[in-house]
Amino acid sequence: MTVDFVLRSWNAWAPGMSCHQDWRKWHEHQTFAQEEKAALPATVPKILQRRLSPLGRAVFHAADACIDSDKSLPIVFSSAHGEVNKSLEMLKSMQKGEDVSPTAFSLSVHNAISGLFSIAYDYHQEITVIAPAQDGIAPAFIEALGLLQEHYSEVLMVFYDEPLSDFYPSLPFALNAPAMCALALKVSLTGSGLPLQFNRSSANRDDGEQALQILSFIRFLVADDKALVLGNHRHSWEWHKK
Amino acid sequence: MENELKQLIIDTLDLEDISVDDIDSQAPLFNDGLGLDSIDALELGLAIRKKYDVKIDVDKEDVVKIFSSVSTLAEYIQAARG
Repeated sequence: MTVDFVLRSWNAWAPGMSCHQDWRKWHEHQTFAQEEKAALPATVPKILQRRLSPLGRAVFHAADACIDSDKSLPIVFSSAHGEVNKSLEMLKSMQKGEDVSPTAFSLSVHNAISGLFSIAYDYHQEITVIAPAQDGIAPAFIEALGLLQEHYSEVLMVFYDEPLSDFYPSLPFALNAPAMCALALKVSLTGSGLPLQFNRSSANRDDGEQALQILSFIRFLVADDKALVLGNHRHSWEWHKK
Repeated sequence: MENELKQLIIDTLDLEDISVDDIDSQAPLFNDGLGLDSIDALELGLAIRKKYDVKIDVDKEDVVKIFSSVSTLAEYIQAARG
């Protein structure tokens, strides 16, 4: 399977990084800011802002720059672990015999951030939320490119993950990222932008889960590299700049 | 009681930019007034149970009326505690 597509625009947020310029600097130094919350777009109503976790804010910040004013893009969200740290906190409070907060529960499900996004932006297009498990960022590309083949002229992908609580063993899974990160990619089959090719690779790789692969993909975008191969034992995928 | 309840609402529901003085005891809490939603109602119900040991039974009580304003909520809690 080989698919040609165009990266129309992209935007990513991580602590200390909120524009392309920041990411180019990051590519040289590879360091993140310690603590920082993503600034929220003015569109987000005050009453909803309190529901947004730091990860949710990162997603909103990244996606906001890529959605068009008529909100016509379907969106494919992808997160390996979503708000699992929130679920862990709830399990801990249950263990102590405390009541679980209804708000925390409602915001812990895998499509919670996309749900808040659709409410905040009054967004009525098709929204998919993928949990790619070990397969990293590729499943969202397969979904988004499939939507382009159907009839949509553009699709937005939004990847996000955050460091897991120490409670979870990070080895041997290679899943833990150095920082929270959200990446939005707007793609189409034609038009101006960065032309890319996506195909299956036979390489046997260990590039970790999505939290690590998001950063590899951003590095690929800001660096001069012609190709990127990412895999996590089972399948590997390749991106080429044409 | 009403001011204490207002502070509980602010703390429980993360209403960072709102102070006790901003909440009108007679104004509706949900939709038009403070703009709270059904998840907030559940959260508030839980906080009231913890703080006042008063359980609002959704099957037996007129929940819409109880939660309609700070004033009605305070009245209900006071009556329930006897």
